[in-house]
Amino acid sequence: MLKLEIGRIHIKDIQLGNETSVKNGVLTVDTQGLIKFLREDERIKDVKLDVAKPGEKVRIIPVKDVIEPRVKISGGNNGFPGVTAKQAQCGEGRTHVLYGAAVVTVGDIVGFQEGVIDMWGEGAKWTPFSQTFNLTVDIQVADGLDPHTHEETVRIAGLRAAEFVGLVGQDMQPDEVVTYEMGSIFEETAKYPDLPKVLYAEMMITQGLLHDTYIYGVNAQTILPSLLHANEELDNAVISGNCVAACDKITTYQHQNNSAILDLYAQHGKEINFLGCIMVPEHTTLSGKMRASDYTLKLIQMLGADAVVVSEEGYGNPDSDLLIICKKCEKAGVKTVLITDECAGRDGMSQPLADTVPEAVAVVSGGNVSHVVTLPPAEKIIGNVEAIAVLAGGWEGALLEDGSLQCELNAVIGATSEIGYHNVTCRLY
Amino acid sequence: MVVSGNYAKIRKGRKSMKNIIITNNPLVAEKFEDVYWTDGSVEEILIKIRDLVYQGYELVSHPLASSLRMLFSPYRSVIISTPKQQLNFEHAQIIENSIIKYRNHTSCRKTDDQNRDDYKRIDLLLLEAAFAEQQGMWQ
Repeated sequence: MLKLEIGRIHIKDIQLGNETSVKNGVLTVDTQGLIKFLREDERIKDVKLDVAKPGEKVRIIPVKDVIEPRVKISGGNNGFPGVTAKQAQCGEGRTHVLYGAAVVTVGDIVGFQEGVIDMWGEGAKWTPFSQTFNLTVDIQVADGLDPHTHEETVRIAGLRAAEFVGLVGQDMQPDEVVTYEMGSIFEETAKYPDLPKVLYAEMMITQGLLHDTYIYGVNAQTILPSLLHANEELDNAVISGNCVAACDKITTYQHQNNSAILDLYAQHGKEINFLGCIMVPEHTTLSGKMRASDYTLKLIQMLGADAVVVSEEGYGNPDSDLLIICKKCEKAGVKTVLITDECAGRDGMSQPLADTVPEAVAVVSGGNVSHVVTLPPAEKIIGNVEAIAVLAGGWEGALLEDGSLQCELNAVIGATSEIGYHNVTCRLY
Repeated sequence: MVVSGNYAKIRKGRKSMKNIIITNNPLVAEKFEDVYWTDGSVEEILIKIRDLVYQGYELVSHPLASSLRMLFSPYRSVIISTPKQQLNFEHAQIIENSIIKYRNHTSCRKTDDQNRDDYKRIDLLLLEAAFAEQQGMWQ
């Protein structure tokens, strides 16, 4: 039904320059060209570009989003359909990816944003984006924008920057090509009649400003749970508008490379029959939570799935959604695996989620967000130095005498990813 | 209504008495009616909600936010319904768990006072988004 080829162009270094090119794996970004392109949006007053490479003593803060630069070669539309491009079907044709590069948007919409990426040392261990060659895009918006417009401006600028840089891959021969192909549910089930049918339910933060997710440009707060082909999210259909839960926010980059989808795909036809993805909004109201969980179970049952893997985004009230979905699915005889992270106190000994249910018998943890890390002082800071004070202001003694600061993993981008796109693993004692 | 304190009758532009906002956010108190407002802490807000739930009120929105950062907000607004006939046990469990989690998180944290105005604004926007979740519902 949908066949997607992802051609990876390996990026081994990044620099700013006068034209955008990739030579011997070195990505050069046309500084003035990109600034001019982004400033076509009149809401943008100033753009500062910089690069950050693995191993450099550089701290990026506060990070808004991370995006993988790509270009559409065939099928669909280039860019992010429904957002920066006209509507098109995502998940088919060919896409070239600057593999190893990332666009990182920086800039605070509100003063309490955190979200740090350290490119070296202790901090680098905890974020997957210390290993990417990062183009940082720091956006200053025009005066007097309301917070919604401010957020949208920075969100769109990041996506457009990724589009601008990704274009360089258009005429290049990729270093490797990965193919994702899946037929209709009937075709796949006919091929693998004995394998258990598994769905992936991806919960998304959808609760208002700084807490939003978009599918084909539609604010997911307004949707009923929706079925996506496994290829769509891997091909720019889903973007992040979430700016607050640094450690477990699913960045656009992580949507583009959703580990849960990739791992389920890898087992498709071997151990499982992977049916597709249900995108589940996380509502604020309890009736919204009941509606979304009822609807999710109904889709699971209509598709005849034997099991579902559910991933969460965020912490706090979404814990309720996760466990309500779990309870309803298990009671209906659908085997349910949850992926979440833990808020288990600094020693890891407290109850990890805000709610509990006895039906939650298979839970994968993405790590403890309350774990304290000590980050040494950086030689260079990209972004807003004052944001470090927000980071350090959490408790007495967070800023040490030698300039190191102590913070919880909560502040580190992607540290405890609830879709498994990160560096922490679980060990059972 | 049984709620004691500084609250008014009807949310602006609406003609029902089904929902009440419990809040310590002055922006919310200015913008909405049917508000129980206190200048107390978020913990006091949560405890007030718990007491009301035990009196038969139901939760309309979840007492906790959806990100850890918003747990450090000095402001919180939660929507509850007017009293039902009997105690909703599930809601009692949700508010009790929320209080436990809130205390766990704030026990070793300072309230983020520097960004009070931003927290006020975002708390208001998230509350408005909660009201927008079910536009077709009579309320």
